Amino acid sequence: MEVLFLQIGNGLIIGSVYALVALGLNMIWSITDIPDFAQGSFYVLAAYVGLFAVTLAGLPFVAALLLGMAVGALLAFLCERLLYRRWRERTFRDAARVQLLCAIALFFLFANVANALWTGKPRTFPAYMEGAVFGFSYMRINVLIAAIVLFVIVYLFIMKTKQGKAIRAASMDPGMAQVLGVNIDTVNSMVFAIGGALSGGAAVLVAPLYSVFPSMGDLPLLKALVVVILGGFGSVAGVLICGLGLGVIEALGAMYVSSAYQHGYAFFILILVLLLKPKGLFGRV
Amino acid sequence: MWNTNRIILGIMLFVLLAIPLFASSYIVYVVTLAMLFSMLTASYDFMTGFTGPLSFSHGAFYGIGAYTSALLTLKTGMSFWVAMPVSTLTVFVFAAIVGYPALKLRGHYFAVTTFFFGHFIYLVLLNSRDITKGPLGLGGIRPPESLFGINFGNMTAMYYLILFFGALMVVFLFVLVNSSIGKLLVSIRENEDLAQASGVNTAFYKVMAFSISSGFAGMAGSLFAHFFRLLHPSTFAWMTSEMIVIMFLVGGAGTLIGPIIGAGVVTFILELMRFAPEWRFIIWSILLIAILIIEPRGLAGLYNRIRGRRA
Repeated sequence: MEVLFLQIGNGLIIGSVYALVALGLNMIWSITDIPDFAQGSFYVLAAYVGLFAVTLAGLPFVAALLLGMAVGALLAFLCERLLYRRWRERTFRDAARVQLLCAIALFFLFANVANALWTGKPRTFPAYMEGAVFGFSYMRINVLIAAIVLFVIVYLFIMKTKQGKAIRAASMDPGMAQVLGVNIDTVNSMVFAIGGALSGGAAVLVAPLYSVFPSMGDLPLLKALVVVILGGFGSVAGVLICGLGLGVIEALGAMYVSSAYQHGYAFFILILVLLLKPKGLFGRV
Repeated sequence: MWNTNRIILGIMLFVLLAIPLFASSYIVYVVTLAMLFSMLTASYDFMTGFTGPLSFSHGAFYGIGAYTSALLTLKTGMSFWVAMPVSTLTVFVFAAIVGYPALKLRGHYFAVTTFFFGHFIYLVLLNSRDITKGPLGLGGIRPPESLFGINFGNMTAMYYLILFFGALMVVFLFVLVNSSIGKLLVSIRENEDLAQASGVNTAFYKVMAFSISSGFAGMAGSLFAHFFRLLHPSTFAWMTSEMIVIMFLVGGAGTLIGPIIGAGVVTFILELMRFAPEWRFIIWSILLIAILIIEPRGLAGLYNRIRGRRA
């Protein structure tokens, strides 16, 4: 029974990482129609920046976290501004495909940059806090708490501010929103920056629990893409529930079925849901 | 247009036939790899270039074909000449089973699902240690049995074997693409709803195109297995699918001949950059982004643009 409790807890913690990355991806995908694979590499780069901020510069963990988020946001902003925006008008037939390929090329590029600069050797992120409660170290619990705080901030931003309203309008109908005076370029910059910050934050939060290595972003990215498809677009709560749910299912599947296929369950769930409910579990596609 | 293609293909076949006569064994080896990748990109073009859906699972089907063929010959002692068609057919059927639900999805959803499928197959290859030997790699694969007195243990014979099957596949695809089926596939690519409204069974043709294209990837995998004689799951990880898409894109979608040339060009560029293994994929990704910015239709698009300006 205690093992079950621990596994569910661990599932919630890793699930909150999926949910954080997925929230940014969801906003980007629903507004710009780009599955931004590059978020997976911002995750990696932010983790390295956080690591160096703690080990080399000796900054406290909170500063490293904020720095990681800033780096993620900046990179995502620049990629949108310099690359994706070129094809935003989609003046030729393959423009949507070009954006997707560009996203994957960026993912490929940054993953290899990290590998070339810092080698494939996993590095340990020093622990920033001691102690545990109910068998969970404080560092693990912090991931969940921080994820929920970030979710609430993003939710309030989207629902309560004027910029948030513009984002919601653009996600419903970008063309119409533009006609009504929403600056779609600003909205795009904003959602990419938010997405990058969330990916970066997730990476630094989870880095002390595992290690930092160039391909650390692959799995969170894949799971987050699944969460976006499962959760459906335009639903902050859907992303949170699907992300946490996927984490728990994986943790329980690893314990009761087979740990070798822990990262394959998401694929089965994805196929199953798409067959039964092609529009995702929550909201519209 | 089709006449120019025939001339280019004829010249390519001639050059490829002649290469082993004077080139070093290293060049023959690199060209063999390039031909295998050409088979992958040409078959990929049949699905993605002509029918439309962008898929990231071609490398996975390549891997399934390679492992099926290798395991059949290793475990049951089956001859390569039986194992290759069997593994091609296995991949064909398997792709139909996967493609039927997956192809109901449109656009990016299909792309992401196939991306995930590719990763799932990689996990299966990596984790079924008692069958595939997982990360240790599957070695000891025999070369194809001698046929008509030709011993396929040497590389030149293997080169001509792969060239033979590659040429056969390209001819088959060219005939298919120029037939009425090819026109139906293009109609799906151009406007799926309209094609459906005009009475085209789009679901059937999409699954068919997906299965044929994947089946040829399986055939290329089988040839690769008996050429390289050592298989490792990482050969078929998502990087491979990604490389296939890049080669396809460099060549130009929906031209069949473009992706064949693209595969050759990319294989040679990667081979030339072997002196800096960590940096070659970086240079390569930057090159890809540059291609997307300058001419998203690839070499074929560039060729048409230059020709259009002259005219």
